[in-house]
Amino acid sequence: MSLLLRKHKKQKGKAMKRLFVILMILVTAGLLVGLTSSDEGNVKEKHPDVDFSVSCVECHTEVTPDIVKEWKGSAHGKMNFGCYMCHGDGQQEFYAHPGSQRCISCHPQYEVDFSKTKASNCYDCHQGHTLKFHKTDE
Amino acid sequence: MSISRREFLKVSAAATAASTIGVSLLPGMQKELFADGLNWHKSVCRFCGVGCGIMIGEKNGKVVAVKGDAQNTINNGHLCVKGFYLQKVVYAKTRLLHPMIKKNGKFERVSWDDALSFVAKKFNAIRKQYGPDALAFYGSGQAETEETYIANKLFKGAIGTNNLEGNPRLCMASAVGGYLTSLGKDEPAGTYADIEKAELFLLVGSNTAEAHPILFERIMRHKAKNPDVKIIIIDPRKTPTDQVADLHLFPKPGWDLAILHAMARILIKEGYADEKFIKQSVNFHDNKKKITFEEYKKFLEQFTPEAAAKISGVEPEKIIKAARMFGKAKTAMSMWTMGLNQRTRGVWANNLVTNLHLLTGKIGVPGSDSFSLTGQPNACGGVREGGGLCHLLPAHRLVKNPKHRAEVAKVWGVPVKNIQPKPGKHTIAMFEALNKGEIKGIYIMCTNPAQSLPNASKYWKGLKEQFVVVAESFFPTATTEYADVVLPAAFWSEKEGVYGCTERRSQYMPQVIKPQGEARWDAFILRDLAIKMGFKKYFEKYKTAEDIWNEYISLTKGTDMDLSGAPYERLKKIRGITWPVPSVDHPGTYKRYTKGDPIFDALPAEKKKGRRMYFYGKPDGKAIVWARPPKGPEEPTDAQYPLALSTGRVLEHWHTMTMTGTVPELVRAVPIAYVEINPKDAKKMGIENKDQVIVETRRGKLQIEARVIDRPEPGTIFIPWHWEKWMANILTIDAFDPGSKEPEYKVCAARIKKA
Repeated sequence: MSLLLRKHKKQKGKAMKRLFVILMILVTAGLLVGLTSSDEGNVKEKHPDVDFSVSCVECHTEVTPDIVKEWKGSAHGKMNFGCYMCHGDGQQEFYAHPGSQRCISCHPQYEVDFSKTKASNCYDCHQGHTLKFHKTDE
Repeated sequence: MSISRREFLKVSAAATAASTIGVSLLPGMQKELFADGLNWHKSVCRFCGVGCGIMIGEKNGKVVAVKGDAQNTINNGHLCVKGFYLQKVVYAKTRLLHPMIKKNGKFERVSWDDALSFVAKKFNAIRKQYGPDALAFYGSGQAETEETYIANKLFKGAIGTNNLEGNPRLCMASAVGGYLTSLGKDEPAGTYADIEKAELFLLVGSNTAEAHPILFERIMRHKAKNPDVKIIIIDPRKTPTDQVADLHLFPKPGWDLAILHAMARILIKEGYADEKFIKQSVNFHDNKKKITFEEYKKFLEQFTPEAAAKISGVEPEKIIKAARMFGKAKTAMSMWTMGLNQRTRGVWANNLVTNLHLLTGKIGVPGSDSFSLTGQPNACGGVREGGGLCHLLPAHRLVKNPKHRAEVAKVWGVPVKNIQPKPGKHTIAMFEALNKGEIKGIYIMCTNPAQSLPNASKYWKGLKEQFVVVAESFFPTATTEYADVVLPAAFWSEKEGVYGCTERRSQYMPQVIKPQGEARWDAFILRDLAIKMGFKKYFEKYKTAEDIWNEYISLTKGTDMDLSGAPYERLKKIRGITWPVPSVDHPGTYKRYTKGDPIFDALPAEKKKGRRMYFYGKPDGKAIVWARPPKGPEEPTDAQYPLALSTGRVLEHWHTMTMTGTVPELVRAVPIAYVEINPKDAKKMGIENKDQVIVETRRGKLQIEARVIDRPEPGTIFIPWHWEKWMANILTIDAFDPGSKEPEYKVCAARIKKA
């Protein structure tokens, strides 16, 4: 936070806006913890209004460094397939908790009928940023 | 909700198997996650030259989704960030929907009939008054083969000018020159199938991770599974490709030829040369004449690691290490792109990479190839194979060859005298001729030269002064600004046709939806223009895309790139096929010049005797190792302009952003252009990250944001070239390779200061 403020001290308003972003992200994250279904069509989500001339990853390196670190170590991070692929551009489309359709666009071989499994979407088993399995019965 | 890992793996493995072989092994287990009622159509990605298979999801006449084609051997279902958003590009707000003619400086909507009549009248008037060479066509490696074929026939066969070029001149021409001079025929000997068999990759002047992401992913997976696989990079700049590198050589931009010679010297001196292969299949040449192997070795003596280090700026130990790694590996695959091609000695650079393979025999066997990566989806198929350059005719034929002219004129049904024997003007000469008024009318199809030409602003004069027709899917672009007429072109998914990718694979793309607005297929726009110009008898026969393809493949029969076994009927069922494919029951060719290549197999036994490779494009079947001088860039740095400027790409954008600039997610990912500058240089100049700076060359100035980062080496700066607003090409140099005529986008001298 201090880094963020220091860096943008010339633009105090901007820094305040980012502070708001962080708070919003924390609040949003908290709200989403309780969600089990992530059908993105059912949830109207809004990305906080920020300076959109800054790329997702550049801003999030400061506001959510742990998540960016997790993503960077994943197969997506190694390919530099960024936040926007699952979460949208943040303005016209935004999915704080994306569904599985986007996954299947690049991984069509995993197009399974979730009604026949115990999972309801890809993220039930894969952590969205590391992509590793995070929920197993074993 | 949770699932056991074992259970999940069981389900997904079964689903994978099912989708891979196209049979549902577990009825009911697979269900589309997309909206119900989607019709999926097999197609090909619209972006780079990798040729990824893509499935188009259509519902009620609209493209509503895309997904990777799991059955396509190139990408196995994966897509990069650009292909992932193709459905958004189809419905971009910037789609050009109606023909327009500029009147009093403003575009006015007109009917197709009026637009084509106007262009035909104007072109015919120019032709009558100034002759056919006052007209020109400038096409694209993104056009389908059928589209380029019709343009070629109209300009070379009907109008009678060889002033027909395409933007592959700006990206692939040096690779063509390299293959022709080294191996005798254009395009690689191997295919992507070599990737998973290679022990070593030599990536030269290629940021594979960003420019060819799906191939990079294949390399990355291969290395992850086989940790002994080694990767060497030769590039003046650190890029995301470095995350897999075992060794990186950072030459000063444009000074890498000496490194390749030094590597060749070490390979021979330390016993890595394949003497038997050299004896059987290799000749040696300098720029003037044939030389002996011994004379070649003497030539190489000047390139000690220390001497090469002095020229290139790379530590001698690294050069030695790279050579030994290349020599020790049982198989090696070299890959390169614009870093080698876009140079005033691009052909020579190509030759010197292929030298390493010919000297060590690492060619013509699984896992080994000298493999040029292509930038555009149909640069190989439409332009290199289709003959869409000023010296070519379809199927690797040459305008200067009377037999070739006669063969093509016969199939085209035009008098052979219509096809001029002299090559037309290559791209830079063509735009120069527009500036001078020697060319008075130009038809530009599916490309944006006002932004993509090097030293771009120099060529705006000609575009402004002459009669310019632009057939485009998007509006406005930097080029439509100079157009007198704009014609709306159907886009990907709105037309059928064939793309031929880097690995000699031709793939069919279906029309899935109707074109937006009044857009029409480029080939039929050209056909109807031809008819209006008075060439009805030559063009009225083309009723379908298949008519055009069938005529084209008839011209490939018996050539080195035989596609006569690949009619639409077959291509619609399969995921493309790699030529030569001389009959409909032929499986396609994995390796050229060796067993399994139908041309090699058909050679008389005495020619092949004792030889595993026969380079049939050369008179004696022997490839050539070239002793080329180690020339540097056209505009080296100096006291006035002390930095080497290089331009290139980012993962998320493509060319001049007419497509990726319409996708909000991709714009968000990389919203603005920037100049990368090494922290050491930045400190010296008092430049901080995100400062506005002025980059200046002898050709222009550009204000842009500084990105202080240790990607470029000290002394080098880098700008991604995609943005019209921050147009890097007003800085680049238009000097070109005397052989390939490809400009030196990759190096020029620059200086930088705070704005």
